[in-house]
Amino acid sequence: MKQTKMPSMSACPRALQTVPWLIALCLPLVVDANTSGNLAYCLLWAFSAVGLAAMWGYGGILSFGQTAFFGLSGYSYGIFTLNYNDTWFESWLGLGAGLAVSVAVATLIGYMIFYGRIKGVFIGIVTLSVTLVLETFMSQTAGPQWAIGEARLNGYNGMGGMSPLTIPWPGGPLTLENASFYYLVLILLIAVYAVMRKLLDGPFGLTLIAIRENPQRAEMLGVDIRRHQLLVFVLGCTLGGVSGALYTIWGAYITPSTMGLTAAAMPVIWVATSGRKSIGGTILGTALLVWLSQNLAVYGSQYALILLGAILLIVVLAAPEGLLPFVTRQLKRLSSRTSDGTRHGGACLKREEGKS
Amino acid sequence: MATLPNVYSLVYQFGDNFAYLVLAALGLAVIFGMMGVINLAHGEFIMCGAYVTIIAAKRGVPLPLAMLLGAIAAALAGVIVERLVIRHLYDRLFDSVVATWAISLIVQQTMLLVAGPSIEGIGTPFGSFSLGDYSFSTYRAVLPLIALAILFGLYLLFFKTNYGVCARATIQNANIAQCLGLRTDRLYTLTFALGAGLAGLTGALYAPTMTAVPTMGSNFIVQAFVSVVVGGANVIAGTTPAAGVLAIIQTGLTASYGQLFGQIGLLVTVIVVIRLMPQGLGNLFTRLR
Amino acid sequence: MTTLLETRGLKKHFGGAHVINGIDFRIDAGEIRCVIGPNGAGKSTFFKLITGEHRPSEGSVMFLGQDMSHVLPHERIRMGMSIKFQIPGVFPDLNVRQHLTLSLHRAKDDRPESLDELLQRFMLENEEHVLARNLSHGKKQWLEIAMAVSLRPKLLFLDEPVAGMSVEETHATGELIKRLSAAGLTMMVVEHDMTFVKQIASRVTVLHGGSLLADGPLEDILARDDVAEVYLGKKK
Repeated sequence: MKQTKMPSMSACPRALQTVPWLIALCLPLVVDANTSGNLAYCLLWAFSAVGLAAMWGYGGILSFGQTAFFGLSGYSYGIFTLNYNDTWFESWLGLGAGLAVSVAVATLIGYMIFYGRIKGVFIGIVTLSVTLVLETFMSQTAGPQWAIGEARLNGYNGMGGMSPLTIPWPGGPLTLENASFYYLVLILLIAVYAVMRKLLDGPFGLTLIAIRENPQRAEMLGVDIRRHQLLVFVLGCTLGGVSGALYTIWGAYITPSTMGLTAAAMPVIWVATSGRKSIGGTILGTALLVWLSQNLAVYGSQYALILLGAILLIVVLAAPEGLLPFVTRQLKRLSSRTSDGTRHGGACLKREEGKS
Repeated sequence: MATLPNVYSLVYQFGDNFAYLVLAALGLAVIFGMMGVINLAHGEFIMCGAYVTIIAAKRGVPLPLAMLLGAIAAALAGVIVERLVIRHLYDRLFDSVVATWAISLIVQQTMLLVAGPSIEGIGTPFGSFSLGDYSFSTYRAVLPLIALAILFGLYLLFFKTNYGVCARATIQNANIAQCLGLRTDRLYTLTFALGAGLAGLTGALYAPTMTAVPTMGSNFIVQAFVSVVVGGANVIAGTTPAAGVLAIIQTGLTASYGQLFGQIGLLVTVIVVIRLMPQGLGNLFTRLR
Repeated sequence: MTTLLETRGLKKHFGGAHVINGIDFRIDAGEIRCVIGPNGAGKSTFFKLITGEHRPSEGSVMFLGQDMSHVLPHERIRMGMSIKFQIPGVFPDLNVRQHLTLSLHRAKDDRPESLDELLQRFMLENEEHVLARNLSHGKKQWLEIAMAVSLRPKLLFLDEPVAGMSVEETHATGELIKRLSAAGLTMMVVEHDMTFVKQIASRVTVLHGGSLLADGPLEDILARDDVAEVYLGKKK
């Protein structure tokens, strides 16, 4: 009898789960500034992936709109900071603006979808349409009349030159970049991970799973399906916005191509490959896939995209629960000889289990 | 006062938009309507048809034959895709969306690698004619008529041939169809190939009018799924009126505010229609009958 | 005696088909009311009208004196209804323990029953960590009833709870229902199985052709000739 365990009942002791985080915390001490910056780049996409994993893996809501919020948030940050950049405080307000816009738009769209009883694949279509509308709109904004205050939208040329995040520091404001920016992203990621785990391991997550598995039955338990779906949707989309804002801060640049069809496929690829039912697995998988794409892109971005497309295809056909869970299962099967399902004997893969 | 050239200009625009919407949507509609699969690689079948047509035409093959070759090539590609990928996913329709998206990505990027960012195109045949101050491309003026002819052909196929009856039976109840001895798996392959072939035909028809780039499919995808979503799963009674309505909206918005708003208007219509009429216009028609 | 549920002049038609033709019906607190009737009598439709899946064409459904016409399904649950449909509705990917954790969480009770008590009461102690998709049919039904009961409802609706069960399981379910009633739960049970009905019912309502044929205590109904003819198909 095959039994699955809830993520919190991992066979590995809690201490082991913190190992990857500890490694991550120590990395900047052993690599140079540039590499730290690149590592931060790999990590910042994880928020968007975590958001999609929560929506899709727990709520059963496959949204193709993560990149829409990525873009909205990024542009909001840009517009805000290009207009207000006198003090260090204002860069953080810009970040807040990006998040606020994400929450507002997600609530609007989510309300229309879930209280309008749109279900299944059509949620994907609506969210994809929204993403394409935004991309189409932004791509036509190259002319000088398209500006909000000091910030020109610039169409496909992209918006650039916005100020980075700074914090007050003895001796003058400190710009968060490279190693310090990496720590910001990492700390945010740890915080988000902790919150999501608490939320999804508890009754809220259980309710989401129930809604996904059997909506009518969930209703018979008194659950207001639409409210729960809206909540997880807003949460997931806002996390997409977090990625967008951080991306814009990292590169001081954002363009409509971050909202195109190809870009919209990326979160789906990362989450499907990592295993959408595990938050920790998603973070790890996303970071690895982004790192892989970066290295392949040196040879030509087409190779990276072809590989990602191929991975996604293989995952969908052969390992729909995700590559990491699939591999974990196979390894467990190889190493464990007992048929007693409650024991998880054999090798315990630190990275996989630790993050789950 | 509306003069003939002005009126005709609007008619021409409408016809142009209508043809584009219908032709872009046909392959997608057939596959979605018959099998419930949303084929996000639809654009790539269009691209396949276009490329094969251009390559054949440049080798000296007469244009109509080259277009036929393009459609057939796409149909064959469809058979391969269906056999290798789609048939494993009929019980997981959600995953078929993701899988076809993956195929789309792979094909696009591979074409970019192999064929480069663009290939030299072929010229638009038949030249142009003028009315008043306006000049119109003869070819594009004729396309709406070709689109209607194809629709009529499809109607004949679905309602007057053996294949059509079998296909419609399978859609309505695959289990019983199987019990009656219908080879549903072959039917699905044929239908998918038909959808792919129609997409290839669209690519072939538009090949003389646009630059051939590996990502050209993306231009059609938006119009395609807008028409299918608004029109519902019924290919003839749904997609066609939907394309008509959408063409009106697009022509109107473009005339008043420009291309961009025409495009956005389409996408907003999708969202509105999904919200108000989840089954699409086609359902409305069949219920009224 | 408090009336928990009442229908007045309840009618339902689908197009030209009149499925329910004016039913006046009442359930008082403490009853185990069985609703029986031959196939096509309208039992399922009647059940769906009461639980809110269908809207009445005419007439009203009143729960605790309130008109239920515009009350959404999940709101009905909050008001004290609890419903178990005919087809087992469980969450395949969750185990028994998780199901009950979920329903206990929804119960919002001051003194929630302990999960272990629930497991014992519903004979599921050995299946605590089993995934719902791997449960036997009978255990799935018990799990569903357990979830429905853990919500501490005022009125529990069961639609053919022993459909597909073995004779032993049916009897065990009957005993379970009697225990629940003894603990104070009011129930309405739509059923086919007359042995089961005889085991549990306090009052019986007989539907025929969309109308109410007979309504009364179990012994009275069993003794009536017209019920026997219509339902059991024999003349006494």
